[in-house]
Amino acid sequence: MLRFLASRLLRALLTIGMVVTFAFVVLRLSGDPAQIIMGSEAPPEAVAAFRASWGLDQPLWVQYLRYFLAILEGDLGRSMRDGRPALDLVVERIPATLALTLPALLIKLGLGIPAGVTAALHRNSAIDRAVMLLAVAGFTMPSFVLGLLLVLVFAVQLGWLPSGGQEGWRHAILPVVTLGIGGAAALARFTRSAMLEVLGQPYIRTASAKGVPWRAVVSRHALPNAAIPTVTIIGFMVGSLIAGAVVVESVFSWPGVGRLLVVAVANRDLAVVQAILLLVAATMVTANVLVDLLYGALDPRLRAAPKGVR
Amino acid sequence: MSEAPLLEARGLLRRYGMRRGLLGRPVEVRAVDGVSLSLHRGRTLGLVGESGCGKSTTGRLVLGLEPSDGGGVAWEGRPMPPPGTPAWRALRARMQMVFQDPLGALDRRLPIGAQVAEPLAIHGLPGSRDRVAELLRDVGLRPDQAARYPHELSGGQRQRAVLARALATAPALLVCDEPISALDVSIQAQVMNLLTELQARHGMAMLFISHDLRAVRQVSHRVAVMYLGRIVEAGKPDAVLQDPAHPYARALVSAIPHPGRRQARILLPGDPPNPADRPAGCAFHPRCPMAVALCAREAPALKPRPGDGRLVACHLAQGDATLPKAA
Amino acid sequence: MPEAPPSPIMLAPPRARRQGLPPLVLFAVGWLGLMLGVALLANVVSPYAYTALDLRNRLSPPIGFGGTTAHWLGTDELGRDVLSRLIHSIRMSLLIAFGATLIGAVVGTTLGLLAAQFRGLVEQAVLALVDFSASLPFLILALAVLAFFGNSLTLFVCLLGLHAWERYARIARGLAISAGAQGYAAAVRQLGASAWRVQLRHVLPNIASTLIVSMTLAFPEIILLESGLSFLGLGVQPPATSLGSMVGYGREYLSRAPWILLSPAAVIVLTTLSVSALGDWLRDRLDPSLD
Repeated sequence: MLRFLASRLLRALLTIGMVVTFAFVVLRLSGDPAQIIMGSEAPPEAVAAFRASWGLDQPLWVQYLRYFLAILEGDLGRSMRDGRPALDLVVERIPATLALTLPALLIKLGLGIPAGVTAALHRNSAIDRAVMLLAVAGFTMPSFVLGLLLVLVFAVQLGWLPSGGQEGWRHAILPVVTLGIGGAAALARFTRSAMLEVLGQPYIRTASAKGVPWRAVVSRHALPNAAIPTVTIIGFMVGSLIAGAVVVESVFSWPGVGRLLVVAVANRDLAVVQAILLLVAATMVTANVLVDLLYGALDPRLRAAPKGVR
Repeated sequence: MSEAPLLEARGLLRRYGMRRGLLGRPVEVRAVDGVSLSLHRGRTLGLVGESGCGKSTTGRLVLGLEPSDGGGVAWEGRPMPPPGTPAWRALRARMQMVFQDPLGALDRRLPIGAQVAEPLAIHGLPGSRDRVAELLRDVGLRPDQAARYPHELSGGQRQRAVLARALATAPALLVCDEPISALDVSIQAQVMNLLTELQARHGMAMLFISHDLRAVRQVSHRVAVMYLGRIVEAGKPDAVLQDPAHPYARALVSAIPHPGRRQARILLPGDPPNPADRPAGCAFHPRCPMAVALCAREAPALKPRPGDGRLVACHLAQGDATLPKAA
Repeated sequence: MPEAPPSPIMLAPPRARRQGLPPLVLFAVGWLGLMLGVALLANVVSPYAYTALDLRNRLSPPIGFGGTTAHWLGTDELGRDVLSRLIHSIRMSLLIAFGATLIGAVVGTTLGLLAAQFRGLVEQAVLALVDFSASLPFLILALAVLAFFGNSLTLFVCLLGLHAWERYARIARGLAISAGAQGYAAAVRQLGASAWRVQLRHVLPNIASTLIVSMTLAFPEIILLESGLSFLGLGVQPPATSLGSMVGYGREYLSRAPWILLSPAAVIVLTTLSVSALGDWLRDRLDPSLD
């Protein structure tokens, strides 16, 4: 178990390191930072001075090392637009994003899992078909289309709810519902197929054949086993709490991390983009490690098998 | 045999690392432990033993498909090049293999004809339609069956197709790894006859690996009996089958059902052999009905028996130890 | 680790299999045929040039909602014909999705086969890359690359092509390794075949059906990504138009002229639905082992 934990953490660190390297490489490939920041009309002496002051005249590996060290100290550069530290800019947007993604996560779990389990237990019934129809619709409908449709109906036509902005809880309803429905559809579909797979296993048939009441078969044997694959997708959802609302925040002009990212990309504010990239990667990797540990707790067999080998 | 051997293997060794349990210490498993053999043109060596005794690994080592961890293989007097090198690949034209599962050994997506022609293309030999037809006829298939896919053929026909592919480059050596054990009993004899026929026609050397003593006897000029990675007895098939010298060989022979002869079957006590847990001394001694104290201490060497010169690795058969009177 | 793949969409019960095509698949085939035809014949079937302005008929509603037959699906804020723009958007979106799907399949399969062939360091490197891709939501990665490199159509297609590469890599590696361990690949290798011959002539054709099914599963995801990025204004740039960018620009007129965004939105939903349905059906038929 200790080995498993250690190797998992090592892989996580390696992945973060790769994201940092990716950001560095892409940053260098995208052009001369001095030219980009100073503008193409800057006098050559000024550009040279800028290079020297930022260490850009050093060999590449020195730059890389410095870059890495700076990130370890939490220095992710400054926004090119207002000169504030990029990390601060991102962090102050996090609460707004969580205000959407956390309630949405509750909707996904509260709606998606029961729907998937119910559908699986009543396979090929009317309930199953209705759930799957909604789930497929939820999957094939992009979140911006769903969001705009909701706006069209509830804000434009009925006038019940505001169409955008962030003044109060009423403004959060439509974006939260948009996020929640899409995720719930995916989760319902996933839970259903995981559940169906488990229900087809011999041990379930054995348990019910030897007279265990069906409720007990489901709750004691089927659900825990179906939870194993479902945990992965939930982990993915937890990991994307920070960055999972990019499109929806744009639809509803919600000032969260996603909106910040879109604006930063449009303005090529590289420091901010990179800060978000690293933050998201760190969240995802942490969530993945937690998922793997949870896996280990749920399924003892997986502790021994190395992750890459399947 | 005065002629120089086509292939000579000396002290072949194959080790695998195996881990027991999650935190278990790696255990070294010797699948093949010092096997020496030589193969001659036009002759067949039969290799017999239970599953897991290392006979298939020996076949792969002989062909150079896996590197040997010790000892070596000499082909026409020269050492076998390492696997994957161009020299090794070129040598494939001279030595070929026939597999236990013909369906698995054939590509399901290609017709038989294309697969038979493939070794010709690989080795830059002319692979005309006529040549393929000739090869198919050689193994008893119809030339029009070249267009068939593997799943459209019967098990025996598939094994014939595998044989045709193996013979395409006119190899000097054919290693047959359990070539008949996946086939129906009625087909087995046909394939065996085909093998002897082909050898008579083309004069290649054969290594025939099987767990079936009778099959081995039918095709082989010499047999070697393997137990836990080592050869324990070798000699002419009739001699070994009529009068096995090693207690293990004796047990194997007694297991052959024989109409007319009513002889007690020797039942081996104890667990089947596990290469990861090799007993000290003679590996067979825990199951041997005649084991003496020496057998648990010292591993017997494979050497000619005094008298008739039969190669056997057994203290008792060699007369180095005697059976206590009150057995 | 079991990744979070596009899980099966259970549409029709498997029983329908023997009785010809299920209705949903029939619809999917018909719709995709229509879309392909429209994309191929875009210049012939569109009534106007997609950039042509009709300033007297700005924000004209579709026919049936007070519009005229001059503009069946109405016009946008500059009086451009929505139907013509829709037709060209379909062409653009399909082109991007096809290109990106192909790129992803080729890159992923190649890396997967390389990993299976050379094992060791190459394999570790590919697996590390797979981990890396799995550790970031693709949308964020794509946004970062677009921020760093700016936008061009070629870059955009290549970028989307990287969307599902790790899935192909995983599949190709796994199948190639299991093929190489026993059976036909090992048999051909001992015939003296080079590694390339084994991989390209034997392994690849044997795993092709699985890969094709994966492609049909990745295709709708790429359409959704493309339209999402274009909706954000970071994908296809004007004057070119795609389904997503039409929705994005139409959003400004949501209350006054909802038809500008409703028709491309409907096309997106129907197309992704059709490809998913077709992909699921294909998977059930060709490759029950794939999840």
